[in-house]
Amino acid sequence: MTLNWTPEVIVAFIVAISGFVLTIITYIKPKTKKITSLNYIRLAILVFSIFIFIDGLSILYISKLLSIISGFILIPFTLSLVIGVTYIIKENFYSPGFVIVIGLSILFIYLGFQPNAVILQEQGGYIRLPWIGLFGNIGMILSAIGGVYIFYWGIKTLKNAPFLIKKEAYLFFLGIFVATVVSMIFYVLYLIDPFYILVSNFALFIGLLIITLSVMIEPKLLYILPFTVYRIVVKDREGYPLFDHDWSKSEISENIFTGFINAIQLMSEEIMNIGGLLDIQLKDGILILHESENITVGLITSKSSKLLKSSLTNFTRDFENIFEKSLKEGNKDMREYESADELIEKYFSNFPSRIISHKRKPLLLTERLLKLPLTLDTDLKTIIKDEKELNFIKSEIFRTPENTAAGFISLYKELKEELDDAENESEKS
Amino acid sequence: MSNLNIALSLTLKHPSVQSVIDIAKDVINNNNVLDTELLYNLAKRRLKLPRKGLLSIIQLLINKKVLVEGSKYTRDEVLNNKYRFKLYRFLTSNLGAHFSTIRKQIITDSIGNLGSSGQLIWHLEMLIKFNYIKKIKIKNYTVFLPYEIDDEIGLIYFILLDEIYLKIIQLLIRNEKLKRSDVHKLVNEKRETIYYRINNLIEFNVIKLSGDKNSLVLNTRKKDDIISIIKTLSQNKPQIKKLNFSSE
Repeated sequence: MTLNWTPEVIVAFIVAISGFVLTIITYIKPKTKKITSLNYIRLAILVFSIFIFIDGLSILYISKLLSIISGFILIPFTLSLVIGVTYIIKENFYSPGFVIVIGLSILFIYLGFQPNAVILQEQGGYIRLPWIGLFGNIGMILSAIGGVYIFYWGIKTLKNAPFLIKKEAYLFFLGIFVATVVSMIFYVLYLIDPFYILVSNFALFIGLLIITLSVMIEPKLLYILPFTVYRIVVKDREGYPLFDHDWSKSEISENIFTGFINAIQLMSEEIMNIGGLLDIQLKDGILILHESENITVGLITSKSSKLLKSSLTNFTRDFENIFEKSLKEGNKDMREYESADELIEKYFSNFPSRIISHKRKPLLLTERLLKLPLTLDTDLKTIIKDEKELNFIKSEIFRTPENTAAGFISLYKELKEELDDAENESEKS
Repeated sequence: MSNLNIALSLTLKHPSVQSVIDIAKDVINNNNVLDTELLYNLAKRRLKLPRKGLLSIIQLLINKKVLVEGSKYTRDEVLNNKYRFKLYRFLTSNLGAHFSTIRKQIITDSIGNLGSSGQLIWHLEMLIKFNYIKKIKIKNYTVFLPYEIDDEIGLIYFILLDEIYLKIIQLLIRNEKLKRSDVHKLVNEKRETIYYRINNLIEFNVIKLSGDKNSLVLNTRKKDDIISIIKTLSQNKPQIKKLNFSSE
């Protein structure tokens, strides 16, 4: 049997291999594997690779049956993509796109069994097997829906990408743009001249290559889910903070956050069983609380999710195990629990940090690290005995114009006499 | 993988982290505005660290609250502090208030304990520095006034909050011209107390000696202001009590 090697077959195989590589990378790179939305996206990439591979085979073997089978494979591809993107957005399967794809798929399958869904055609000196008629049109619509969803995913990822991985997000989006918009433009042109199918497939290959590269550089790109994780706090049973990690600035005030954790700790035996999870809907987000034997862990996010709950449960379990000795001894020194950063990396590495909101946002060093001139420091300590007040004033000194601190010392000396008089008076009374 | 290792082993004691902190200190100590981009660029040039590693360090510093978002104060931001806002409001609605009064009113909490005077003085200095208030020295008292209030008006407010000054001035409004001895008789206070205050009022240019040098009259230039302030004070009913002057 003579094989029909054509440029289209070769490009199709290259694209298929790229797709398989991307599937493997999206599985190997991220540390958290069981993420439903990503599973669907990964499935879509795999199915797409199979589709393009079988499409290539159909031309290679000049097989109408393989061509129709490849067409049918477009259905799971589009469906898994639509579900994956919808799941990323709302952790749910249903969307208008889902209903449309199901409807079109039924029609597509029916048309696939009709005669002349695929024909043999010689184009540019090569034998091709184009889908024709309604079967071809619906196949194109299904591909277009897939393209639109991927493009939407790309935009969503770029939009939500935090500052720290913005550069990689642009690269990722470029790949998606080439693989969808550019490839689709040439796919449409293919209706005019079959040569463009080669360019379309080549654009797809380049796009996949860029996407693969960006995901290899920054796997977090696959996890820029449309909710924000703000903060996690671990407290012991007496309410002392043991560990604190921020991903992003939260609108939820410290008092509300601490208040809820303390209240839950008091009520825990009545409203939660040990090991229980509780969601508290607040105005500016959700507080997910997890209670275990020695600790209460609070996680603030913009919305609740199964993924977050399971990450929180695993984090709590490991925290209990790793720091069991310290927890049993009642150690409250936060430095003892600093290595819990590794657990954050283990269970929450897929949530990108948004702690640096903008590269131009002014920053200040905290007062404990900035040294004041020795005399000024001594004078301040003489005047302000309370450590909290002293730290507050020091933190303000670094935000004030030069000589404010010196002005304060001189004003204090100036008012000293009045101060002594007032103190004497209050002592007498 | 190397980036992952850096991320896992990063602590504040890590030499690279310390070097980035030093760079941040340099920027701030040189009075420049520190931001992520500047810190990143400087650290990249000086330490030659890879992009991701350096960003992880900056992220760690923000996470551990070594670096916090914020900038030097602007005038508008100064009153964002509740304590300062309360203090400024007190000074604008209690013109002529001196340090001891402010201290008593501002830092007395519900159970009567005085807070720290140092803290109060810090906030006063901040308000002075950003031109919200100014201070004038009147004898042994330091009076804090809103920046836009004229010193002379501030002085009149201050003296009218002392019951003896107030009595003397009210007498001079009613009688136009009075001898020192008459003032003493009418006010019914110790002679030296009355005479000391009369001398002060002359020094403050609130009252003058008449042509015969024996009688006292109100400074006509200030009379209207004084009457208007007395009216305002009688409406607001501030706490008027006797002041203690060190030279009395």
